[in-house]
Amino acid sequence: MSTIYDPLFDCKMVGALRAMHGISDCISIIHGRNGCHCGALLLQTLGSEQNSVRVLTSGLKASDEVYSGEERLSSAIRLADQIFGPKAIAVLNCSAPVIMGEDVEGLELFLEDETQSELIAMDAGGPEGPAWLGYEEALTKLVPRMRPNEGKPREGINLLGFKADDFCSRGDLKEMKRILRDQNLPLNSVLSGSSFEEVKQAPRAELNVLLGGDGLDCARAMEEEFDIPYISVPYPYGLKNSVQFVEMIGGALGMEADPEVLETETEGVKEIVERAHMFFQGIYSTPVAVIGESGRAFDLAEFLSLELGMDVKLLAISSRNFATGEKMTAKDAHYQKLMIEPDRWDMNRALEASGAALIFGSSFEKRIASKLQASLLRVSYPVIDEISLSDLPFAGFSGIAHLCEKIINSILTRNKDEVKA
Amino acid sequence: MNPEELDLISRDEAPILDTMRRIYSAVPVHHLAAIHGKIVGALAVADAIVDALPLIHGPVGCAFQRKLNPFNLSSTFYDTPCTNLNNVDVVYGAEEKLCRGIVEAYERYSPRLIIVITTCTTDLIGDDVEAVVEKAREMVDCSVVYSTGDFVGRSRPVGIQDALYAVADQMICREDVERNEGSVNLINSPTQRNALKFQEVARLLTKMEIKINKICFDHTTTEDMMDLARADLNITGYRMPWAELMRDKMNVDCCKITGWDRYNKEKDPELISPYGIGGSCRVLKEIGRIMGREGEAEPVIKKNRTAAEARLEAASKELQGVKVAVPVGFSLNLLKDIGVDVAALIYRTQTLSHGLTERAVREIERANLSLAELYGFHPELLVNPTPDKELKTFKKRQVDLVMAPAKIAHFYNREGIRTVDVSDFTQTKLNVGFLPSIELCRVFREALGKVRVRSPLLDLMEFDGGISNLTPHWARTALSFHHLRSKNFRDGSYYNFQGLAGVELNEHNI
Repeated sequence: MSTIYDPLFDCKMVGALRAMHGISDCISIIHGRNGCHCGALLLQTLGSEQNSVRVLTSGLKASDEVYSGEERLSSAIRLADQIFGPKAIAVLNCSAPVIMGEDVEGLELFLEDETQSELIAMDAGGPEGPAWLGYEEALTKLVPRMRPNEGKPREGINLLGFKADDFCSRGDLKEMKRILRDQNLPLNSVLSGSSFEEVKQAPRAELNVLLGGDGLDCARAMEEEFDIPYISVPYPYGLKNSVQFVEMIGGALGMEADPEVLETETEGVKEIVERAHMFFQGIYSTPVAVIGESGRAFDLAEFLSLELGMDVKLLAISSRNFATGEKMTAKDAHYQKLMIEPDRWDMNRALEASGAALIFGSSFEKRIASKLQASLLRVSYPVIDEISLSDLPFAGFSGIAHLCEKIINSILTRNKDEVKA
Repeated sequence: MNPEELDLISRDEAPILDTMRRIYSAVPVHHLAAIHGKIVGALAVADAIVDALPLIHGPVGCAFQRKLNPFNLSSTFYDTPCTNLNNVDVVYGAEEKLCRGIVEAYERYSPRLIIVITTCTTDLIGDDVEAVVEKAREMVDCSVVYSTGDFVGRSRPVGIQDALYAVADQMICREDVERNEGSVNLINSPTQRNALKFQEVARLLTKMEIKINKICFDHTTTEDMMDLARADLNITGYRMPWAELMRDKMNVDCCKITGWDRYNKEKDPELISPYGIGGSCRVLKEIGRIMGREGEAEPVIKKNRTAAEARLEAASKELQGVKVAVPVGFSLNLLKDIGVDVAALIYRTQTLSHGLTERAVREIERANLSLAELYGFHPELLVNPTPDKELKTFKKRQVDLVMAPAKIAHFYNREGIRTVDVSDFTQTKLNVGFLPSIELCRVFREALGKVRVRSPLLDLMEFDGGISNLTPHWARTALSFHHLRSKNFRDGSYYNFQGLAGVELNEHNI
């Protein structure tokens, strides 16, 4: 095993930030040096929600590494509370202050009566672990803030593992809400893609639904605390996964999915295929590679292989979750080669060898895609060089048309003269 | 070497590249709402040396997140291997890991230079990086240097300056260098990488019988960096501690073309800007003097100046008397050359106050006003004006053109005032020489031909009254950032300053 590693995933702080930033009235304070704050801020800013970036710094300086930065952090918390008036303030303690032993959880207790906002502090130092663990831990940190349902009948579901900074996530959530509504399945809270009040009301739901296996720690904690069961569903890419999404949730709630609604949806997809069927015929068997997080990429690969007939030569999981192990051993794999959190160097060699004409990945695959003359479809985190304002989804029944037009257009619009072997 | 042989036109200057630079110009980094750390600066240096590889000695986040390049957001840093530190390394140290990492990095990427970049984590745990690098050098067939951010004090941008200093100190400065007598190095920022900007000055110096040893950065290799030691003189845009180190260790003199030091001695504001016809003549003469080529320089400067002035006369005809509003910081020399009338000077001091004392901020104001007077301009000075104040003044002074970046042009256009964006000009054309003044005429003429009144969709949204290029939310974020980083962070209320609208990234405000 190599000592050096060019990672496809970020550190614990960014995972935690992704969870906290999804709460629409929560502001995050990065208690760390400039670089950590700048990187975190840019990851949120270079997307399609520039009017809703809520990332502050504590302003930690080198001198604070000697004399402690807790006072500076206290000022940042007070300022965030007074100037921005959020419902919650997440304090993410980065590498340097974690090593220094800054007591951010103590500070949380110290300031809790002083601020209007609720404080949620956690250690998120780089050496402590990867982003996905930070995401899981941050969601779990929300559980003690939730209010028990106290005798009221439970209703609806919570979606866990939603990531508001995923590309086209706004459209995906809209579509998932629509699908659930059409099946009379009310949505209670989205973790994290709701207000803090909605998060606190999560125990009102009768079921927690994990998207692609993300949010398992939180679901377990909620089961223990509030006795809410959970299930894991595929991220609804494509027809089969969308139907399964509906049927699994319905099944867990003792309801049968409305066959008429599903038939209408299927009819809609059929119409989409008919409108460009020659191109659908044309992309069949195309060699592709998929790079993305475990909670999304397995399901995307399945859709591409199972329903579009593409040859998924390589599936590279950029960031795992608790369900990865199980998915790795699943029968009838829809990929030829699987890499889990590979080194970028090794992944690039595998991409070269794969002969993929299309790469489904993140903005960080731009250069290798260009080198290989492959089309790059930006579907995986982080997407920082494409925006999505039309709220068209990738997920659900409606997402099929959007994904397919992107795929087909990515080939049709290439200038053949510029593509050299 | 003849500049024409230097393959100077090495970049594809397609218009889309300008647009790619511009599209990110409104993102408030670079001291507005965030500052990139030293790692990014060091990565920019590694990226500017084509056969160099950065090796980040730290955890994965320092390698993944830093792929974002705040100097050029359209282009991420690609290869960013790291030593993947975990909690065990934090307790027991990671020196062995770093040593193995250097060897592996060499075996895997075959670079000519490895730049080891330390992080908060390794700085705090106290790994002896110097000793490790020394040991690893014996095990690889390439140069290895390390940058900690501690070599250059507060010279900004720290990461860039520190990595360049490390390269100079640990690699370039050496014994037994075969000198290229009578030659100079032309050096720009590793974030710009546009040798095309040096084409004219290289040609002029060659005519002055001064050889060009190297131009960097643009497709610069490790060998090119080593060859910097062969020249007699490094010509830099601003203070670079690594060039001073080369002067002290290698006897390669250095000449910084921006002239605040000279101004401080003589209080002559014409000494500040190296640009425009006057500034360029002065700088070329100075280089001639340093290189012992005054005799050769004189006729070359005279001939080229005369030719340029004749061309300027024709090129600037329709610009005579055009009233412009200009931010303090842009060379008034150039505006004098092109014949416009500076009717308003806008001075935004907020980001300057981060790196400059109050006295220095006032001195800049004084120098610009003196220079304006010297050139016969009678501008109204607006210090951190509100948008309303600006517009009132512009209307009163009948301003025809506001020098403003694209990100705030909508604000003036809706009021029927044309704008001129000189960002691309400063990025790709502005340098010592006679041609930039002529090029600036073209930029201004083109701006005057543009639509006067527009109804931009941007006007549908609310911008902050004080920081008019930011929304109220982002303005609060920027103000919070400045407050929390200041010495007064304990104060209950944060600074109430206004107007960062025209602030552009350049060497002087980062």
